[in-house]
Amino acid sequence: MSDFRLTQQAALKGCTRLVSRAIMLEALPEGHVIQVLGKPGDPHLTARLEAMSDGSPHAVRAAGPGQCFIVGDRTKTHAELADLSASLQPEAFGVDQSAGRVRIRAAGPMVEPMLAKGTAVDLSLSNFPVGHATTALIGHIAAHLTRTGDDTFEIMVLRGFAQSLWDDLARMSAEFLED
Amino acid sequence: MTPYRLPAGGLIDRRTPLSFTFDGKPLTGFAGDSLASALLGNGRLLLGRSFKYHRPRGILTAGAAEPNALMTIGTGGRTEANTRATMQELYAGLEARSQSRWPSLAFDIGALNGLLSPFLGAGFYYKTFMWPAPLWEKLYEPFIRKAAGLGTASYTADPDTYEKCWAHCDLLVIGSGPAGLAAALTAGRAGARVILVEEHAAAGGMLLSETAQIDGKPAQDFVAQTMAELASLANVTMLLRTTAFGWYDGNVFGAIERVQKHVPVPLAARAVERLWRIVAKKALLATGAEERPLVFGGNDIPGVMMAGAMRTYLNRYGVAPGRQVAIFTTNDSGYALATDLEAHGIVPEIIVDSRADAAFPYQGKARVVTGAVVSDAAGGKALSSITVLRNGETETVAVDALAMAGGFSPIIHLACHRGAKPLWSDAQSAFLAPGNLVGLDLAGSVATTSGIAACFEDGARKAMALLDEISVHTTPAAPIAVEGDIVSPPARPLWTVPGVKGKAFVDFQNDVHRRDLDLAVQEGYGHVELAKRYTTNGMATDQGKLSNVNAIGLLAEARGVSPDDVGTTTFRPFYTPVSFGALAGASHGHDFQPVRRSPLHDWARRLGATFVETGLWYRSSFFPRPGETTWRESVDREVLNVRAHAGLCDVSMLGKIEICGRDAAEFLNRVYSNAFLKLPVGKARYGLMLREDGMIYDDGTTSRLSENHYFMTTTTAYAAGVMNHLEFCAQVLWPDLDVRLASSTDQWAQMAIAGPKARRILQTIVDADLSNDAFPFLAAREVSLFGGALHGRLFRISFSGELAYELAVPAGYGESVAEALMDAGALHGIQPYGVEALSVLRIEKGHVTHNEINGTATAGDLGFGKMVSATKPDFIGKAMVGRPGLVDPERAQLVGVRPLDPETSFRTGSHILALNAEATLENDQGYVTSSAYSPHIGSTIGLALVKRGASRHGETVTIWNGIRNEFTPGRLCDPVFFDPENEKLHV
Repeated sequence: MSDFRLTQQAALKGCTRLVSRAIMLEALPEGHVIQVLGKPGDPHLTARLEAMSDGSPHAVRAAGPGQCFIVGDRTKTHAELADLSASLQPEAFGVDQSAGRVRIRAAGPMVEPMLAKGTAVDLSLSNFPVGHATTALIGHIAAHLTRTGDDTFEIMVLRGFAQSLWDDLARMSAEFLED
Repeated sequence: MTPYRLPAGGLIDRRTPLSFTFDGKPLTGFAGDSLASALLGNGRLLLGRSFKYHRPRGILTAGAAEPNALMTIGTGGRTEANTRATMQELYAGLEARSQSRWPSLAFDIGALNGLLSPFLGAGFYYKTFMWPAPLWEKLYEPFIRKAAGLGTASYTADPDTYEKCWAHCDLLVIGSGPAGLAAALTAGRAGARVILVEEHAAAGGMLLSETAQIDGKPAQDFVAQTMAELASLANVTMLLRTTAFGWYDGNVFGAIERVQKHVPVPLAARAVERLWRIVAKKALLATGAEERPLVFGGNDIPGVMMAGAMRTYLNRYGVAPGRQVAIFTTNDSGYALATDLEAHGIVPEIIVDSRADAAFPYQGKARVVTGAVVSDAAGGKALSSITVLRNGETETVAVDALAMAGGFSPIIHLACHRGAKPLWSDAQSAFLAPGNLVGLDLAGSVATTSGIAACFEDGARKAMALLDEISVHTTPAAPIAVEGDIVSPPARPLWTVPGVKGKAFVDFQNDVHRRDLDLAVQEGYGHVELAKRYTTNGMATDQGKLSNVNAIGLLAEARGVSPDDVGTTTFRPFYTPVSFGALAGASHGHDFQPVRRSPLHDWARRLGATFVETGLWYRSSFFPRPGETTWRESVDREVLNVRAHAGLCDVSMLGKIEICGRDAAEFLNRVYSNAFLKLPVGKARYGLMLREDGMIYDDGTTSRLSENHYFMTTTTAYAAGVMNHLEFCAQVLWPDLDVRLASSTDQWAQMAIAGPKARRILQTIVDADLSNDAFPFLAAREVSLFGGALHGRLFRISFSGELAYELAVPAGYGESVAEALMDAGALHGIQPYGVEALSVLRIEKGHVTHNEINGTATAGDLGFGKMVSATKPDFIGKAMVGRPGLVDPERAQLVGVRPLDPETSFRTGSHILALNAEATLENDQGYVTSSAYSPHIGSTIGLALVKRGASRHGETVTIWNGIRNEFTPGRLCDPVFFDPENEKLHV
């Protein structure tokens, strides 16, 4: 099978960017998503992970007691993933979720009202500052939200639900897409 | 005479006329009108027919409590029945139709019920239609439903969209009258996050109907100025056209926003209604008070209206109620109306004040009669006169409009939605909200404060106090100076009007009159909850907003007790009706529920798969080929091909859990009933998970990928449940164990490659040696593919009983790898197969699923007794597996079943009867848990749970389907129908 051309399919390959002055939705590259399983209460975990990330802002995101995601736009090779996993142990374990999680960016001045149609989380800047992350329901779908800017969020969702979540977000954005 | 539009005045925009129709007749109103004010402005008094007696009805109120003026508006899918004309904003082209009449509103055959009214009192249906019983469902109920009437829903799909939203605030203010505005201003200026909810299109509440001056300006100007300031504050959100309908745990309030119910054609991109869930740190109820009707004869004749409503139509909408107006009042508020009428040139014919000692300093021109009542009103479709009773003397006064001012009931509904009961106050002559509500306070007239200035001050003060509790420090809005406000202190209620001759209605919407309540008490239904059911008082769309308090007062008088002793019925959401569309939100049609797509979904679709919903997953059911006319043909082909050649099946939706940690082995050893402590690295093992009660919970394989890293697969159905179970075990049962868990179900595209050619096909893409020695049965390893271009996980496990592997690759590469395998397998006859063929293959091998693991099956029942360790010190379920009931030899055990005649068949769910036993449930010996046609056996085969089944192989039985009355002679047998020695598995 040496002549076989191996290809990678993005979960949201058919979803084009939606943009207006009020709102923007786009699927992000399926780079890397590492779920880090640390020990709850480990005070040094986040700092260690920051050093292992690609250095981009908000690359390390809290995901529950002792757990974080390390995310980035660039795909990691098998060897890089193995090295990362090895360097985490024994204090923590890394689970590659790069193909299992899909990231969507939602931005714009109406991003909070748009997301409020789906999630019960108080997303006001004072309550949910830049860098804050949580797991929550958006409609019927569980997702991981991170505020990456005053008017920008990244939403990470299980691959199987990515298309449904995109459809939901597009519907929730519809009134803001009419400039 | 009729109501009419005044030449000037009101808050309507007279430069913007709007055309609309009522019962097909073209009419004109103005922007700013409600449908009710526009109809009154056109002189329309008769707007509907009552529910039971089909009596002519007009408009009673100007707000949410309207019981009479219910109409159907819109057309096609936008038809909306029971719309309150008082709450519907007028728009160009609005089509309104009256309800509950035939053939027309003016001539309604149903009005004959009025002639029969002496026989149609409360309880009539219960007493009359008891016999013969079968006719109730077939004749009486359909007839009554047809005759009784609210509107009819449309059968056309609603073209509009609805949505739900969450909102959060420091202070939620419900109501935008003086108290609400003061609270919002106080909180808004302090920087608190404020949400102000107002159910009408314009904020201001009763101030919009006022003639008083505030700070030297008309009250309406004060409202506009205040709203402008609130609009300038970024921390204040105003939700107009929004009704707060419920108060729920966690200080969450439900509210319904009518986003586009006031426009001719809604914008497609916006919802027409939005259901809000507002999480408030604190909330202030400034919902005002509802004016009470008075219960005299003919109080429902069109032209009789609440006094406060009459002020609203006069001052806000520029509509006069008539030319000969009378006022019947129990308190000072009636004089405010008299003053307003006179300001518009309408001198009331008479003011009838029930108080003998009334001392209001009225300076107007109207004749005032104190210590008197209106005992009856006369007229058919419009009011013509009233009878005034004073000191036993009656006087008839010709009028075309009558205002009722029976005092006020605070609108406390939301404060009682979480179980607290209202409390009667003799001093206030009203039911009040209970005290000590957590997170909620009341201000203004809902808290019995009277007068604009006092309400404003109360709102500011209460807002300050609430915000102080959450450490938001405020300065109260400055007091306002009010001129011309007629402050009405509470007056003694007038429940029973003396001298009544006609029907005196208590509940207008349900046609409950005073005698109905007397009858309820007389017949033993005097308890407030019983009286409600007996008479229907307080039911239907208005839920007794106007009627309940009068009903309670009348019940109290009839029983000789205080209203406090009678109490109220239970207050529950919703305060006003909420559409099903809003409750469903976006969850209908395409968006009914999320779809979970396998990474091989598009691959399967390209190959023509027919999909089946499995939970939220869409699984490939089978892959029909040209010429195949039934699903069975396709499935038989796929089954035969797997056993003869090879097949590829998408199993990505199986649950997958990564289990890491120093104590992962010990953890698994406690979770599973069989041994896992010594599972070697690179090997998989079938595991059985029990519940605490000893029954099987789930099964699956777990592989040891490295010393401290395991990979568990679960059934598709129980993926989330098992994950939760493991988390519970790790976090609660054994927090001392070092175990970390992560679901990786979506990370992997997983495919089963099964059949005698599977190894040869797989070897073309897997770099490692897959020979039986190098990769034996139950081997489980990470493998490189395509010369190292990709890495995946390979497991030699089999659900089909064939030589089989499951290959997991990163999901994004799933389609490509599946295509590579199909290409490589083409020479070997590979075909895709779906979940139907998978099911046939597993039944042939006697492999169980949750059809058999039904929650009542033990390991022993299913032939897995040896998988329950007798030597492990502990595992979940161990304490209970030895219960006598779980080892009873009479228990249902897994067995195979097949028809004696291969040409006959049976269905899953059929029951097993001993041969020649009568077909009764007493003789039931078990049931068929799974069945399928096996192309290898040449007949239907099944798995069944049958009493002592394991020891009854070879016994002839009857397979009985009681629902379809099918009887199939069959034979119990070994549950493994194919390759019982498992020779194919190990090649």
